[in-house]
Amino acid sequence: MEGKGLRFPKPRRIVLYFVLVVFVFLFLLPLWTDFTTSFKSIHDIIYTVPVELPSSPTIDPLITAFNIMERPLLNSLTFTVVAMIFSCLLGSINGYILTKIKFRGSNTVFLLFAIGIFIPYQAVLVPLVLTISKLGLYNTVGGLILTHTAYGITITTLLFRNFYGLLPDSLIMAAKVDGAGTWTIYRRIVLPLSLLPFVVAAVFQFTSIWNDFLFGVTLARGSEAMPASVALANLKGTTAFNYNVQMAGALWYALPVLIIYLVLGKYLIRGYMAGAIKG
Amino acid sequence: MVNITAKNLTKKYKNTIAVKDLNLQIKDKEFFVFLGPSGCGKTTTLFAIAGLIKIDAGEIWIGDELVSSAEKGIHKAPQERGIAMVFQDYAIYPHMTVFDNIAFPLTISKVKKDEIEARVKKTAELLGISHLLNRKPRQLSGGQRQRVALGRAMVRRPKVFLMDEPLANLDAKLRVQTRIELKKLQLDTGVTTIYVTHDQVEAMTMADRIMVQKDGEVEQIGTPDELYNHPSNLFVAGFIGSPEMNFINCTLIEENKGLYLDAKEFKISLPTKMASELRSYIGTETIMGIRPEDLHESESAEGTTQENAFRMKINLIEPVGPYMLLHLNLGQIPIVATVKETKAKAGQGVIMEMDASKIHVFDKKTTNAII
Repeated sequence: MEGKGLRFPKPRRIVLYFVLVVFVFLFLLPLWTDFTTSFKSIHDIIYTVPVELPSSPTIDPLITAFNIMERPLLNSLTFTVVAMIFSCLLGSINGYILTKIKFRGSNTVFLLFAIGIFIPYQAVLVPLVLTISKLGLYNTVGGLILTHTAYGITITTLLFRNFYGLLPDSLIMAAKVDGAGTWTIYRRIVLPLSLLPFVVAAVFQFTSIWNDFLFGVTLARGSEAMPASVALANLKGTTAFNYNVQMAGALWYALPVLIIYLVLGKYLIRGYMAGAIKG
Repeated sequence: MVNITAKNLTKKYKNTIAVKDLNLQIKDKEFFVFLGPSGCGKTTTLFAIAGLIKIDAGEIWIGDELVSSAEKGIHKAPQERGIAMVFQDYAIYPHMTVFDNIAFPLTISKVKKDEIEARVKKTAELLGISHLLNRKPRQLSGGQRQRVALGRAMVRRPKVFLMDEPLANLDAKLRVQTRIELKKLQLDTGVTTIYVTHDQVEAMTMADRIMVQKDGEVEQIGTPDELYNHPSNLFVAGFIGSPEMNFINCTLIEENKGLYLDAKEFKISLPTKMASELRSYIGTETIMGIRPEDLHESESAEGTTQENAFRMKINLIEPVGPYMLLHLNLGQIPIVATVKETKAKAGQGVIMEMDASKIHVFDKKTTNAII
């Protein structure tokens, strides 16, 4: 049916596609500019229009940017991956307990988790810095892991709770009758069935932790733990006109998220649809 | 000896009482059915026996072991009760192969690997699913999934089988077939079985004894024959049997030393044996019940004064196959009858004779059976 529509486009359809293509173009323009500029020398920056291809392509800006951002990128990768794993695992356990092992007050506990989502980060910055300093984790990757894990749990708990709500209770009851305890049921039954929500939660957590600037800039100003997002912002201040290095830095910064989406995109879409289609 | 006893069992959910003061004795090797409409408390009772829910009052015994007691604070976990359960949606683990599904209870209780393999294979053979052991549940049909669930229950050699509407998700033909196999399996293994269903045909065909429940209370416990021929109240009478029993409002009266049920449109003379038992109820408002098969087309010609034969109008004839369903009207009273055959056509009148010896009489106020 769709194929037919494409072969015989009605006038309205043509207009629709035209508008969509224009928007795609507008949306991709900054990315394109980022890409072209990253391969331009200082000379090219001055004498070519940003969207133009470089007249003499060079990878010098990419190398310069990488040298500056190598450590921050490594920092970011470390705390992002670790905090992602922790927050997903804890969210999954929370979701399981809240849906399948209901206890007195479990709804209240869930409500408190949900409220956590609506607390703006700015509101907790000062107490957060104080807490992290008291724990001796200021300016450390560990401090960022702890913070991002704690803040990630709210949303991952919500996500896993919704998914586990679709899991039939009879599965859990059957496992109980078969002799499995709470923890064994989680490990042997619930966890193996959680691939889709794990992908969705992982991609979501990776992106939001990787993109975070506020916690990074407040908790890790020193170079030992500085996240890539902060280092990227700092690129702007080093020299006045070297857009090419800044753009190259942005390209490096965007790369991991891009790879994650390319690799997991298929599962991500399936995960989003999981609630809609009954298995 | 694995008999099951429930004493004063009560389970409440927030504002509703799911099971109220239930007393029950299930004998060793018995196939016992909990029957009732949805929300009657049958599944709650089953879950309480399984240990999946805690009870609010009373006791449950499996064999000579007290497994649940609200008063003594005893609640044995499901796996400590020696039970196995089959769920309505089978609840087989979707990420495991058939082999792993059946083996799961054994792996959990750390049975040796070669013994697991031997027992799973033997169980699979018994159920005719040996060729499916490496498949995943999504590659199986409904009937095959049902067998896997059954296999997982059997492999543990439980003392008691608990089944929660295990046939409800199968199509009609498969349901009848599996019904027979289940019953045979239970006879062969001799494992005490509790079977929950809302389908009275399933209950009647499979059960040694049936407990009919409604709104958390027990309506009647008895053999299929007892429930069918001697229902203890209006609910059981109406719930068991298809097509349903006919109910007609009547008053019990005495005329010329004979007892009659007077339904205004007609009067039925009761046999003397019945009459002696009913004499003390003269004047009470009652409901008369008569099963469709206890009405017969009268062979005598119209106008004869045969006792308990009345002229009725046929509204509709439904040929079912082995018999015909006649939808009749006796004056204003609708009556359904099953007959082997009839020459009459819809719209015509017919003389129907009621078999007075098969009549049930219920007290209208209490809805309990008088006879």
